[in-house]
Amino acid sequence: MIKLLQVLIDGTLIGLVYGLVAISFVVIYRASKIVNLSQGEVLVVGALFLWTFTLGAKSLGYDVPLWAGLLVTIVVCIGFGLVLERFVFRPLIGQPAFAIFMASIALLVILRGAAQLVWTAENRPFPAFLPSGALQLGPFALSTKLLTGALVTIALTIGLHLFFTRSRRGLRLAAVAEDHNTALSLGVSVRGAIAVAWILGTIVATFGAIVFLSGRIVSLEVASIGFKALPVALLGGLESIRGAPLAGVLIGTGEALAMAYLDPLTNGVASSVLPFAVMIAVLLLRPQGLFGWKKIERL
Amino acid sequence: MLPTGIQFSSYSGEAGILKTARARIGVLLLIALVLLLPLVSGPYMVGIGTQMFISLIAVYGLHVTVGMAGQINIAQSAFVGIGAFVAAKCSGIGLPFWAVLPIAAVVTGLVSVLFALPAARVKGFYLALTTLAAQVLFPIVILGMPQEWLGGLVGLPVEPLTIAGYSMSAPAPFYYFTLALVLLATCAVLNLHRSRFGRALKAVRDNDVAAEVMGIPVLRYKILGFFAGSLFAGVAGACMAWFLQFVTVESFTLFASVWYLGMLIVGGAGSPIGAILGVVFITVIQEGLHEVATTVMRGQSHAVGGAVFATTNIVLGVCILLALIFEPRGLAHRWSVLRTAFQLWPFPRQ
Repeated sequence: MIKLLQVLIDGTLIGLVYGLVAISFVVIYRASKIVNLSQGEVLVVGALFLWTFTLGAKSLGYDVPLWAGLLVTIVVCIGFGLVLERFVFRPLIGQPAFAIFMASIALLVILRGAAQLVWTAENRPFPAFLPSGALQLGPFALSTKLLTGALVTIALTIGLHLFFTRSRRGLRLAAVAEDHNTALSLGVSVRGAIAVAWILGTIVATFGAIVFLSGRIVSLEVASIGFKALPVALLGGLESIRGAPLAGVLIGTGEALAMAYLDPLTNGVASSVLPFAVMIAVLLLRPQGLFGWKKIERL
Repeated sequence: MLPTGIQFSSYSGEAGILKTARARIGVLLLIALVLLLPLVSGPYMVGIGTQMFISLIAVYGLHVTVGMAGQINIAQSAFVGIGAFVAAKCSGIGLPFWAVLPIAAVVTGLVSVLFALPAARVKGFYLALTTLAAQVLFPIVILGMPQEWLGGLVGLPVEPLTIAGYSMSAPAPFYYFTLALVLLATCAVLNLHRSRFGRALKAVRDNDVAAEVMGIPVLRYKILGFFAGSLFAGVAGACMAWFLQFVTVESFTLFASVWYLGMLIVGGAGSPIGAILGVVFITVIQEGLHEVATTVMRGQSHAVGGAVFATTNIVLGVCILLALIFEPRGLAHRWSVLRTAFQLWPFPRQ
């Protein structure tokens, strides 16, 4: 019983990390109608920027405090988002969804290649932003790092949800997520929306990197978390910020349970297959996810 | 667009693929050139040619699924991998090549149907996500299986290809074997465009609601589009297995899938010519980069592999972006513009 509860707690906490990465998917989709398959690579690039401005700068002799490194990284992320908007997605406004989808796949290989070329494929330690250790709560142990991460996730969810549903700017972005051409004819700047989407998406992905990687190793393989977060984003609904952490908890606990009880029987396959099995099930049973917008086609 | 003065008096002439004598001569010359290649070049070039043919078969498959049926498939490399593993298993138990090829194709097709089923509820990029799931699940499932089944982490050795007792594993014979398959596949794809099935796929691509109204069973054709495309992938996979003589999951990554898609996009998804141009263009770039890298970084061979892979990825990604932004119809459209201008000369081109 205690093992089951411990598994559930661990699953919930790691699920909220998936939720945080899923939010970075959702933010981009919710503001610009771009499903960005390269989100895992964006996260890695954010993490590598952060490494460069903290530990990397330290190895060159500049002792940059963590908060300053984070600030510089956020500024660089804004520049990164603007560059992507200007050179990749602005020329594609009004093109079919296929072109935009393919552009995100092209971006995946470009970012992977660029990261490998600039930072090389070696493993690096990631600065410890969050306190490590465990909080003992009766018989259960909670990782303080993941606990802080969970708080960050929940705070970001509430903040972004309010931005998208209460602020004037956020509501305009909803029009862009609905349809580029309609948004343009209503006088909403699609360019601006895409820029905001990528800036927010990159920054949220960097926060995801902080929570996921704090005190661990950053390498190019970390990008696979992007594909883990994709089922989470779909389950929560691509348009719903609040759905992402909830779906993250569902998939995180499911994965943890499969890891604890099914993996010994299936040679470790069950827990890796589960998120994608959930994804296909969601697409078959409820394509809009738990809280997404239902799309109706009329003749 | 035909040159002036060419008319047809029968429908079969109008529907022909090679309409003029000049086109027929051109194609024969091209085939002769490809046939003569192994006689004039070394095994390295022949190997690249073989690889190109195998990629071309896989990209033909993508052309059917993506270009004709309009369904995005980013798991082509996983489907090629399934074909390769099936072929390795089948030739392992001693089946002849003419049995292995269809078995590999059909098994791959059936697996792809499994991932095409969500087409019942979703379309567009949502459907693409299920193929992404196929690509991500492929290595997990293969590695999770017991080692005796599909080799697990180690991989599976493949019996060399023999036809009627003759070994085909030397570069030149295998080159001709894949060339024969490519010619077959080219005929199949070209005829698919003129068939009822192909027209139905294109109707689904252009507007699936309108296609449904016209009486085309859209769901069935979407699934069949995946099935038909994966048949090609299965054949390409079998060739790959015989070519590499060893299959592991590492040969069939997401990046390979993106490269196949990149070849299709750069060449132009709308016509088989696009598939050919794309495969040639991307392969030339890839090999050129490799060549440059080995000469520039001579002596530091350990660093070459990673850097070449990274640079190839960047160049390929940039090629895809440029094609999407500046020429969504791909090199095939440039080619047809050029040809029309040539045929209409000295009149101004359209």
